[in-house]
Amino acid sequence: MKVVYNWLKDFVDVTAPPQELASRLALSGTNIAGIENGPHGAVIDAEVSSNRPDCLGHLGIAREVGAIYKLPLKSVSPKPAESAAKTSDAVNVEIQSPELCGRFTARVIRNVKIQPSLKWLKDRLEASGVASISNVVDVSNYVMLELGHPLHTFDYDKVRDHKIIVRRAKPSEKMKTLDGVERQLAPDKDRQLDSGICMISDGDGSRAVGIGGIMGGAETEISFSTKNVLIECAWFEPISIRRAARFLKLHTEASTRFGRGADPEMAELASRRAAELILQLAGGELLAGVVDIYPGKRAPKKLRVTRAEILRVMGADVPDKEVEASLSALGFAPVRIDQNRGAEGSLLAAWECTQPSWRAEVEREIDLIEEIARIYGLDKFPPRLPAARQGAARLPHYEAETRLRDRLIGLGYREILTIPHVAEERDALFRPGGISPARLSNPLSEEANVLRSTGLVTMAAALEWNVNHGQRNVRLFEIGRHYDLTSRKNDEPEPPILTIGATGEAREKNLYDPAREFSFADLKGDLDSIGELAGGFAWRDGGAEWLHAARRGSVVLGANELGSAGQLARRVAEKFKFRQDVFLAELELDPLCTAYLAAKEARRYEPLPRFPAVERDFSLLLPDGTHFSDVVKAIRSLNISEISNIEAADLFRGKNVPAGKYSLLVRVTFQSREATLTDTQIGDYSGKIIAVLEKQLGAQLRAQ
Amino acid sequence: MYRAIMPNVENPTERTLAGLAINDPMAIEELFTSEKVRFDKQLAAKHPDEVNYTLMKNAWLGRKAGVLTLITENWLKSAPPALKPIVGQSLNQLKRHIEESLETFRVAAEKGSEEVASNRDRVDLSLPGVLRPVGSHHLIRQVFQEIEDIFFSIGFSVVEGPEIETPYYNFEALNIPEFHPVRDDMDTFYLELPKGAPTPLLLRTHTSPMQIRTMEKQKPPVRVIVPGKVYRRDNPDATHSFAFHQIEGLAVDTDITFCDFTGTIEYFVQQFFGPGVKTRFRPSYFPFTEPSVEFDVSCPFCGGTGTAAGGGTCSKCKGAAWIELFGAGMVDPAVYGFVNYDAKKVSGFAFGIGIDRLAMLKYGIDDIQIFFQNDVRFLRQFP
Ligand SMILES: [Zn+2]
Repeated sequence: MKVVYNWLKDFVDVTAPPQELASRLALSGTNIAGIENGPHGAVIDAEVSSNRPDCLGHLGIAREVGAIYKLPLKSVSPKPAESAAKTSDAVNVEIQSPELCGRFTARVIRNVKIQPSLKWLKDRLEASGVASISNVVDVSNYVMLELGHPLHTFDYDKVRDHKIIVRRAKPSEKMKTLDGVERQLAPDKDRQLDSGICMISDGDGSRAVGIGGIMGGAETEISFSTKNVLIECAWFEPISIRRAARFLKLHTEASTRFGRGADPEMAELASRRAAELILQLAGGELLAGVVDIYPGKRAPKKLRVTRAEILRVMGADVPDKEVEASLSALGFAPVRIDQNRGAEGSLLAAWECTQPSWRAEVEREIDLIEEIARIYGLDKFPPRLPAARQGAARLPHYEAETRLRDRLIGLGYREILTIPHVAEERDALFRPGGISPARLSNPLSEEANVLRSTGLVTMAAALEWNVNHGQRNVRLFEIGRHYDLTSRKNDEPEPPILTIGATGEAREKNLYDPAREFSFADLKGDLDSIGELAGGFAWRDGGAEWLHAARRGSVVLGANELGSAGQLARRVAEKFKFRQDVFLAELELDPLCTAYLAAKEARRYEPLPRFPAVERDFSLLLPDGTHFSDVVKAIRSLNISEISNIEAADLFRGKNVPAGKYSLLVRVTFQSREATLTDTQIGDYSGKIIAVLEKQLGAQLRAQ
Repeated sequence: MYRAIMPNVENPTERTLAGLAINDPMAIEELFTSEKVRFDKQLAAKHPDEVNYTLMKNAWLGRKAGVLTLITENWLKSAPPALKPIVGQSLNQLKRHIEESLETFRVAAEKGSEEVASNRDRVDLSLPGVLRPVGSHHLIRQVFQEIEDIFFSIGFSVVEGPEIETPYYNFEALNIPEFHPVRDDMDTFYLELPKGAPTPLLLRTHTSPMQIRTMEKQKPPVRVIVPGKVYRRDNPDATHSFAFHQIEGLAVDTDITFCDFTGTIEYFVQQFFGPGVKTRFRPSYFPFTEPSVEFDVSCPFCGGTGTAAGGGTCSKCKGAAWIELFGAGMVDPAVYGFVNYDAKKVSGFAFGIGIDRLAMLKYGIDDIQIFFQNDVRFLRQFP
């Protein structure tokens, strides 16, 4: 709403300069987008919130100004001269749908001269950003901007039988609105019988001449040949207007005002004001009286506000005078009704107020308190920090997640955040079987038409972005959610997941070391570092389809399979045009966090050994397909309690190694808690180890 | 004068006390003092290096012919029983003095030798060290954490909720019925429903549904914050993303007032932006709060002057001196009706902070899309 500073002065004698006025308006609840100084003086751009339709006109803004500066509001009471002929003889109005149209007033002016408007009117419209058309049409726009009430003018002679019927739109009804568009006003019969749109029709009611509260029709439009004018000033039910505007995808100045709730009492006054201006600008004679069909008339509501409630909600007092001044200025006519009437500042003070017709949204005591507080000034309520009554809790897995994050960051992974909207076919590359994706019914584009079933699809996209922008060595992780409508539980957040992605070099070349590419072993080691926090992962053959068949595994924690890890399958990597190896892993977060807590609770101190440890290396030739875990299992089967560790120290194939075999250097650490181990003991254990490996695995000991 | 009776001999340690004709404690102390002085003089005359250290150590502490060995042999062992304690005591003192002085000399010698090491061996401090790759928290996560910590410290618990919501929680229970004008400002993503789904599903447009879910589960007092992702069907540009982040806050109790609300928000802002920042509440409108406010802070970048440090208009607040931060207000009593709270007995406040905007403001980021591109060149800037 463009507020023309000089126009405000028609209603209130404001002396504050525009800049100051704007900032006072902002601090009392009218959001100000800016001020412009144009050829017609200052224009304040007010962003009126949707609960304040009364401020969509200069009168309403002036009322706010009056309340802020404690200035009286000038009364609006146009008294246009009337001829002897009666309006009621010239026009007939029938409201068939009072649930949509609560009031309809009509006035008729004969023998007008349609011509361009006078300069002062053109100037004000221009300052308000409205184009001038002709004097009569301009008047209806002017009155709307002045009083906030939309009205419509018909060419009286084009209205058949000079009769108006207000009714609901009929199935499949169409009409041409004055913007020249042919519009369908209700869906076809078979789909929905009634769109609830209010139609203004003429004659026997078969022809629509306007969409009530939204836009007039082309056929009865004012033209330069118009002689006689019919002024419609009505009131339409807000919800039906909003539905209609949405149905028609037609949002106008009128639909905004009626949709938010216009003032039904203003309808007749605005009509009179329009008549006055038309007489002034276009001449002619106004017929006597008004045709006013007002089925929606209601007695004003009584509201009550008490000091006790002001104190309870606001936490600080407002003096009686300020309560009364603000409510009076806004039109609520407060009257003290408590026993202590007259006692300043009484804790029992209560006021009865009358809801003004332009403030239908003020219905409750809290609404009145807001009115008082915003006019009195929100800065008058002193801030204080309230004490907490109970301890605060973090999210259930806050600690586990924090430890996981910190460890991943220590391992060189950067945290990412992604938008879960992805293209369905990309999601399908990673989607586990049996899951149908959560599909949007109104996506912004086909590139973002489903919510991801897994974080891998967005992780792969993040790696793709980096590689495409020259960042070839990337390690990322995300703690996010995945979406799946089929297994959705109503109250729970979507299941959390940890997704990891890496590509490029594990170690970049530097002054001291050569470069080394990231490998499956890096991924496994990093995951095991996380697993350590939760009691340790086990690895099983398997893993998801989108992984390279020879370089993947499934990650197991206790009885739970947490997810998959490995190198991205060639087939999928090609879709992303990756020309370097990409490694991905995804784990379910909840079981991991639960295991973290359990592992933490179970952890106990283990005394450090007092006796020295002894290492022995076994250089083995093993048949291909024998796993390191088989070696460990065989050695462990000896139940030698002094074996404290078994590790793979070196591995190679090829030169000097017979075909079908590979060479594995196994390092076994012996340590006793009771005594220093003797050479004889070590020799004895080593002999047993060699024997069991030979027997169980067909291992050969290589010469050392 | 004791000196007068001191025998003038070349090296007294080669003789016994009797040979020196010393037989009283004072003379013995004098004797040891002169040895100490002799040692100090010798040491002071030598440049601290490894050769001199070895030389001095052998001369004085050498096991076969060191001065202290001689003293032990010649003075202590043959001393008359009455004088033995005083000789032993003095010997120990001298020994400690020599050891300590030599250690100081050794340290000085070592330092000196490193200093003269050739330039060839010296590290070039302008060369980089070995940088192990280290990760980082996403900037949005860092801001979330900071805000969570501030509110946690004043008794707010942290809760999370679903992003896929029902219209009931996202709108109706927040006093936003169908066809409410506010719905026009919140373009909403809807989901295609599985067959037989009872209610429509949408992506939450704000974190406010968790106000309802929290109050449904818990009686007052309630103090929670809700970090999370929210979605609005806006075409992406530099200031709009169809996904972004919010922190919702809610406090409800029997005695929470508007003053408690503004006090809490001011506390937060001063923790986040620093104590110099001024705050301002402007009346506003949200269907689920009453009174509703927009909350502004004095522009922390120009000190609330509207003028940039080098002159000209401040780019952050565009000269307005204030920056609009977020919307908030006292919980509308109508909301309590949806969660069976007695609006006559309880009151409270709620707020919704846009995290992305806050991070953009604080760190001078001009494109919201960069948060979601996850370019490591961006991530690296916030270690
Ligand atoms: Zn600034």
